[in-house]
Amino acid sequence: MNMTLIKSIKDLPAEENLFPGTPTCAGCGGLLALRHCLKALGKKTVIVNAAGCFTLLSVYPFTPFQNSWLYTAMACAPAGAQGIRDALDILIKKRRLDPKEDLKVMVLTGDGVAYDIGLASTSGALHRNLDFYYICSDNEAYGNTGFQSSGATPFASRTGTTPVGKTSVAGSILPKKNLFEIWRSHNPPYLATISPSHPVDLINKFTKAETYKGPKLFINLSPCPAGWSTDPAHSARLAKLAVDTGIWSLKEAIYGDVRHTVIPRKFKPVEAYLKEQGRFAHLFKPVRQEDVIRKIQEMVDQYWNGIQKKDFIPA
Amino acid sequence: MPYIKNPTVQKDMRVSYSPTYTFFGAEQMLRVRFHGRGGQGAKVASRVLGTAAFLEGYCAQDFPLYGAERRGAPITAFTRISREPILERGVISEPDMVIILDETLLDDPQANPVSGIKEGGIVFINTAHSPAEAKDKHKVAERVITLDITKIGLDMLGLPVLSTLAGGVAARIAGIEEDSLRKAVEKEASAILTDEKLITKNLEASLFCFHAIHSLEVKTTEAIGKESPVIDVPFEPALISSPTINTTGNTPLRKTGNWRVFKPVWNYEACTKCMTCVARCPDGCIAMNEDGFPYTDYDNCKGCLICVEECPVKAIEKVREVHT
Ligand code: SF4
Ligand code: SF4
Ligand code: SF4
Repeated sequence: MNMTLIKSIKDLPAEENLFPGTPTCAGCGGLLALRHCLKALGKKTVIVNAAGCFTLLSVYPFTPFQNSWLYTAMACAPAGAQGIRDALDILIKKRRLDPKEDLKVMVLTGDGVAYDIGLASTSGALHRNLDFYYICSDNEAYGNTGFQSSGATPFASRTGTTPVGKTSVAGSILPKKNLFEIWRSHNPPYLATISPSHPVDLINKFTKAETYKGPKLFINLSPCPAGWSTDPAHSARLAKLAVDTGIWSLKEAIYGDVRHTVIPRKFKPVEAYLKEQGRFAHLFKPVRQEDVIRKIQEMVDQYWNGIQKKDFIPA
Repeated sequence: MPYIKNPTVQKDMRVSYSPTYTFFGAEQMLRVRFHGRGGQGAKVASRVLGTAAFLEGYCAQDFPLYGAERRGAPITAFTRISREPILERGVISEPDMVIILDETLLDDPQANPVSGIKEGGIVFINTAHSPAEAKDKHKVAERVITLDITKIGLDMLGLPVLSTLAGGVAARIAGIEEDSLRKAVEKEASAILTDEKLITKNLEASLFCFHAIHSLEVKTTEAIGKESPVIDVPFEPALISSPTINTTGNTPLRKTGNWRVFKPVWNYEACTKCMTCVARCPDGCIAMNEDGFPYTDYDNCKGCLICVEECPVKAIEKVREVHT
């Protein structure tokens, strides 16, 4: 396989395909990751965007993209991608498009679409082995409408629909769905988690993904100052803390075979990540909820205890 | 003509009491429109005013307008106050009073905060400028009141969150009693904040703003519009009715640099050219100059300060932005 992997942030592609001036919140962690994804994917990509924060990127008459962009309803972005892929294939077959001019097709959604509303149409696209990219910007709730809980909301997070009440003191009582495993069960050629704090890992994952035909899926943990009630300046640091505490594992699965690309040498306690965020503030104030914090730590420990050294590949 | 006796402001922010005299006629209504940027607190400000008026025995209505807004993008909120039940609905296009939380919105044609203001209406602008300077600078014909509530917010709360402060300003101009404002701030702040100290600080800051404003007279206007026209929207085929953007990368025209409260400033003597700031800017505003040093596009940098936080050698400083 002929691939050039990069080693440091100095090697990141210089081209900017996502222009400034977008309406996303200052310090949006999802935007930071998307900026790097578009460096990797380049201009010759069609973006199919399901409703969510990122549909606000292109509000008439403005667009930050160098790419063609199509807006779909929440449930059907992969169906939109199928239509575009088919159209391109037909044009090539009829010799009306030079194969060199072919475009990549990329679906862009938030977690509300990926984990809940669009899960079925993604499953269909995976089943049909559609040749496309999927980027899920996971800020762990419906951020665009005021941070209501989604299937991606983690245990104990406060959201608009899981407020901290007198009887339910923990916020959300449900655990986060494991979308990586749901998608992996379809055996796609390439599937990975990414983080805006690890752009080198991110770019290399796209480089690897490019060598496969079929679905190539990415889940990004997107620090969201507006929903997480955090300082916009902390978004990159929080993304890194999520990795360093083991809450967000950076990994890839090639035809279902899982490898971790980053394993922290020494894991930080989950508290370091939780206590910085307003959505978890109730775990510390007015009284410390030791049992809830311990439960979150146990969930993380349990995950990593199952991971063997052999599952790790240095980037 | 019924009127509310009301406040103007003092540039130097000396605290001044003026007995306010409020009189709403039965057929009169005060319509207030708030303009801010998402996250600044326009919505809660409109709620504080509404609640304060309600606690004082008025009928009140308040609501925000959400469209394609994110934190930092222009948003609008509305309050109606009347002696009689309020039957009017929908956005206020002809306000008696406008509260502008962010001065830069005056230059944003999409926000256009003074549009439709009634003759003799009042415009409050959050700025360090005097009313005369602001009037001149932004070409506002109406009566202008100014106060730098961002500074008060930073000094008293440590945050540029202006909800209860703008609520205090609006309550004073609307001729609401101090006690009603106090109760309203307590109620609304404890609905969104758990930190008792921060609630107290909000109350203090709100009252400070309330008292920093002089009395003046503001007219209320007719309560109910005579006609409510129904607009016919003709059917158009999708090619005409759905928008198409036939260009690439034109968002820099939006100039999100207006969102900043603080700006990053580089110190090239300390900078090691490590590129971390370039890699971490969500908006892709930072590039390298000919000498390999980073610089940002101040027209669009939103002031998130991730670059300041992430620079390993602390070569980027956070400086309070003054939009000139
Ligand atoms: S709400 Fe969150 S995810 Fe959405 S634009 Fe704002 S910071 Fe980004
Ligand atoms: S403050 Fe934020 S938007 Fe501005 S240059 Fe720094 S990282 Fe970029
Ligand atoms: S992060 Fe700091 S040291 Fe590195 S290039 Fe930016 S300003 Fe210079």
